[in-house]
Amino acid sequence: MSDDGGLWLLAAGPAGATALYWALYRYYRNTDKSHAFERETAIEAKPVTGSETKVDEVTGTRETRIKGDNVRNYRDRVNRVSS
Amino acid sequence: MSDTRTPPPVPVPPVTGPGSPRDVPPAPGSSPIDPTTLPGPIRDELQAPDPVAIDTASAELKDGVNRCPKCGSTDIRPKAGTDLLVCLYCRNEWNSARVEEAFGLGVGIDQLHGTVMASGARDIAADAASLMTFKCSACGAEVTINTANAMTARCHWCRHVLGVNEQIANGAVPDAVLPFHIKKDDAVARIRQFVDKRRLFALKEFKEQFTPENVAGVYLPYMIVDANVSAAVAGKGEIKTREYTRGSDNDKKTYYDADVYQVDRQVDFTVDDLPLESSTERGNLDTKVNTNNIINTILPFDTKNAVNWNASYLSGFSSEKRNSNVANLQPRLEDELLSIARSQVEDSVRRYDRGVRWEQEQIDVIGTRWMSMYLPVWLYSYHQPGRNGGMLHYIAVNGRTGETMGSVPVQQWKLLMTAITVGTFLEAIALWIVGHSS
Repeated sequence: MSDDGGLWLLAAGPAGATALYWALYRYYRNTDKSHAFERETAIEAKPVTGSETKVDEVTGTRETRIKGDNVRNYRDRVNRVSS
Repeated sequence: MSDTRTPPPVPVPPVTGPGSPRDVPPAPGSSPIDPTTLPGPIRDELQAPDPVAIDTASAELKDGVNRCPKCGSTDIRPKAGTDLLVCLYCRNEWNSARVEEAFGLGVGIDQLHGTVMASGARDIAADAASLMTFKCSACGAEVTINTANAMTARCHWCRHVLGVNEQIANGAVPDAVLPFHIKKDDAVARIRQFVDKRRLFALKEFKEQFTPENVAGVYLPYMIVDANVSAAVAGKGEIKTREYTRGSDNDKKTYYDADVYQVDRQVDFTVDDLPLESSTERGNLDTKVNTNNIINTILPFDTKNAVNWNASYLSGFSSEKRNSNVANLQPRLEDELLSIARSQVEDSVRRYDRGVRWEQEQIDVIGTRWMSMYLPVWLYSYHQPGRNGGMLHYIAVNGRTGETMGSVPVQQWKLLMTAITVGTFLEAIALWIVGHSS
């Protein structure tokens, strides 16, 4: 095993302790729960319309996702434009 | 702020002048001409009350005495586990009409324009008090009901049961009510089961004082909203075009190339029966200071089965009065609708395998329909003392579906000790591996 891999392994203790603490805390207190209205409400949507245009290219990035990816964080509000 | 001394702005073309839609609309009910100076017939027309869009008031129950349609007795109770009312005198059973069919609430959502309010969802009068005094129509005595937590009372003279049925200005009377289906024994069993799965790290005092038999049946106030919405979002999306590694054996790094797209999406949708807490206290879901998110989690209810208001459904249960108007809940509604819009467009951006960063969103609420409703919740509470008044922990059971959610206070030192012990154990294994590999 390389030195690098070995040093990473030393973080297992604190990381494991923190993860266990938060998992149990949430299981007891359920602070992360709320009404999932996005799924549990009767919604009838017409087909989604839209457009896309290529505006740029990125090369040689080490990030696996786009910066600020919020496609699943429905409840994070972004800049609101009035109609 | 505009200066009142400055002359009016440059003359405007007629399309945008006074009286056009570009003007700030006048206050509802206001008139440019004093109606008292007008001839009688015109004055009457101007001053006639505006029609309430959907009138759900029950005229036959207005005097406050709910009588059994068969024998006329007022000793009426909800029959546990059903939507029926039962007369304790002659055992006659009947129920109120389902509002869904009676007022056509399930249909025409895509045709909604503007804000339609049922009569029970109207604004609360500023001077409305919670205490209401009734004249008992059976004997004439004065009976007081505190509508903040009860909707029925027994006349202390003639033993008639009086209920608040008239849609009074303090907002206590909703359009509809959803009767309890889950019985108390069932709720107690569900709460016990919920807590039994969370005993190891629960606060010692909580476990010692745990008495689920103390659970209370409460009718909580909600606004049930139908909405017709058009939404748009815009942002950037990335599609991976190349993935490659650089560097030698021990220093390999992965790099990506990607195309960046400007993505725009529009979606029109309708939402049927979205529940919103119409009590400001319950609507505050800050988990640092309260556990109201627990009660929020047990939503939704089968609101399609709600029945027309009859105070007898509440006898034996307590209730909480509504204190928010439609206007107060509008921002919350728009926020939830935007969230729904974002979830609706997610499927259409799947091809952006490096994700999408939404930067702008826009919502146009074309029409909404508001109903005020009492929904049944079994509530068990435990007060944990602490800083800033401590924390009130709820365990809630949905009175219709039986969905159970709760907040069990934790014994902090026990949880910390366990986490540290497990962490130490993991660290020992890690050290052993590192020690043996080098």
